[in-house]
Amino acid sequence: MMPDLTVEIAGVKFNNPILTASGTCGYGEELAELFDLSQLGGIVTKSITVRPREGHPPPRTAETASGMLNAIGLANVGVDKFIEEKLKFLEKFDTRVIVNVAGAKVQEYVEISARLADCPRADMIELNFSCPNVEAGMAIAGDPIAAEKAVREVKRVFPRPVIAKLSPNVTDIVTIARACEGGGADALSLINTLVGMAVDIETFRPSLTNNTGGLSGPAVKPVALAMVYKVYKAVKVPLIGLGGISNYKDVVEFLLCGATAVQIGTALFIEPDAPIKIVKDLRNYLTKNKLGSARELVGQLRSY
Amino acid sequence: MSRIAIEDVKILDSSDLGRGNYRLILGPFSRSRSIMAGQFVHLQVPGGSVFFRRAFSVYDVNPEEKTLEILFKVFGRGTALLAKCRRGDTVNLMGPLGHGFDPPGKKESVILAAGGIGMPPLYFLAKQMIQKKHESDKIHFFYGGNCRADLIEVARIKKLGVKLHLSTDDGSFGFKGFVTSAIKEYLENNKGNYRLYACGPTGMLKAIDHLAQERTIPGQLSLEAPMPCGIGVCLGCVLPLTSGGYTRVCREGPVYDIGEVLL
Repeated sequence: MMPDLTVEIAGVKFNNPILTASGTCGYGEELAELFDLSQLGGIVTKSITVRPREGHPPPRTAETASGMLNAIGLANVGVDKFIEEKLKFLEKFDTRVIVNVAGAKVQEYVEISARLADCPRADMIELNFSCPNVEAGMAIAGDPIAAEKAVREVKRVFPRPVIAKLSPNVTDIVTIARACEGGGADALSLINTLVGMAVDIETFRPSLTNNTGGLSGPAVKPVALAMVYKVYKAVKVPLIGLGGISNYKDVVEFLLCGATAVQIGTALFIEPDAPIKIVKDLRNYLTKNKLGSARELVGQLRSY
Repeated sequence: MSRIAIEDVKILDSSDLGRGNYRLILGPFSRSRSIMAGQFVHLQVPGGSVFFRRAFSVYDVNPEEKTLEILFKVFGRGTALLAKCRRGDTVNLMGPLGHGFDPPGKKESVILAAGGIGMPPLYFLAKQMIQKKHESDKIHFFYGGNCRADLIEVARIKKLGVKLHLSTDDGSFGFKGFVTSAIKEYLENNKGNYRLYACGPTGMLKAIDHLAQERTIPGQLSLEAPMPCGIGVCLGCVLPLTSGGYTRVCREGPVYDIGEVLL
């Protein structure tokens, strides 16, 4: 029998636990040229802000050991155009659409979420409290009281599940995770990028115009896993794990540590069709290990 | 079937052309027939020690053999590793990507301005033009390098039957000076209407862009930027547009109209 890949998060059913991460798949249009988006469990859009943003001047990315730095600066089309054009495009696919929302203050998160409340195709929203390249996001990401308040206010206006995306750039991620849960978050996704830097020794310049950026890719996977592991023990809401996942083995590790689903991010830049391969490989892994479903792996780590 | 393919291909031949320049023949690649001049492929350098793919303009294709060729100069870690690849090695290739050149009208006189390792897409453009019966003596191929050894594959360009104008910065071969100066001098002595296509280092493209705007010569430039994803999702390879905002070089480019991008 074919193993069951479906998972459920806050009452929302996903065809499989493999999602694409915000900021690595645009609004789906480019990836749709390479494969059928319906093969994904879900797609998490680029962060949406109240008004369109052009983003930071280049260079915005730098290659690092087993990963990369980025400081794109939340370049996006703004909520109006997103709803008119981008969400309409995504409606065609049998996959879950999670809209990532970013703002400079709580009121902006609320404003965008209220607009998306009327768009049933926005199955869930993910609150980007943790963009390391925009100061306001970090202010909420690192402050449990602000994070709880932001989640609570968004929950008041958005009728479907709300995910809070957690930053690793905090003293204690568990405290923030609990605060978001307390504010009513239906799920947590973790981790966003780690603040990092690279320097050109010929020009004495940072490699990015933003000076610092967010580190992602396989380099951050161990950090992400440890944080999923810790947060899983501390909260009851389901977790969506991300950070350096590039193959099915990585996925299994995250599920064992407590993630119900995962997001593939930076790996898409190297292998845009990685999620399709991962779904297939995960199915084979489950079959080989005589497991009936992906759900059976969640939190089954035999920790010491 | 998707326009873009992601496939493992073999290195069928690797040639050291001197001065750090290399030519690779890759294949079989299912989309080689559909590649337009100016488009690029995104190569995963074997060995896993560089993280991103590397983008290369396509130099030539052989649709019958399903092969394609690229030329590159060793510049950083990625190209250094690629130069060490041998015949029979496998590389993962994604493409064709980006928008190629808009071909000129059949009767138009054309100036192709190639600077150093920016030559490949212009050779390919000239070849595709000739295949579409463009008169070869209406194609003026300006090709400049720092010195004589920088001018690679000259015999092959000559074979196309185009009017070849070679230049070197140090005067070791052909016209002495930048390729832009060679074009300027040519235009002084040969008035007429031209369409211009260019690819080369940013400084040269800046000069070409300026020259073309000053003399209202229509045309296009093929630009480059470090490209993490190559398909338009990472927003890393952007350049500023003259009209405001940014453009993704991998997606809206790498070919742009004269004056379109702020260089």
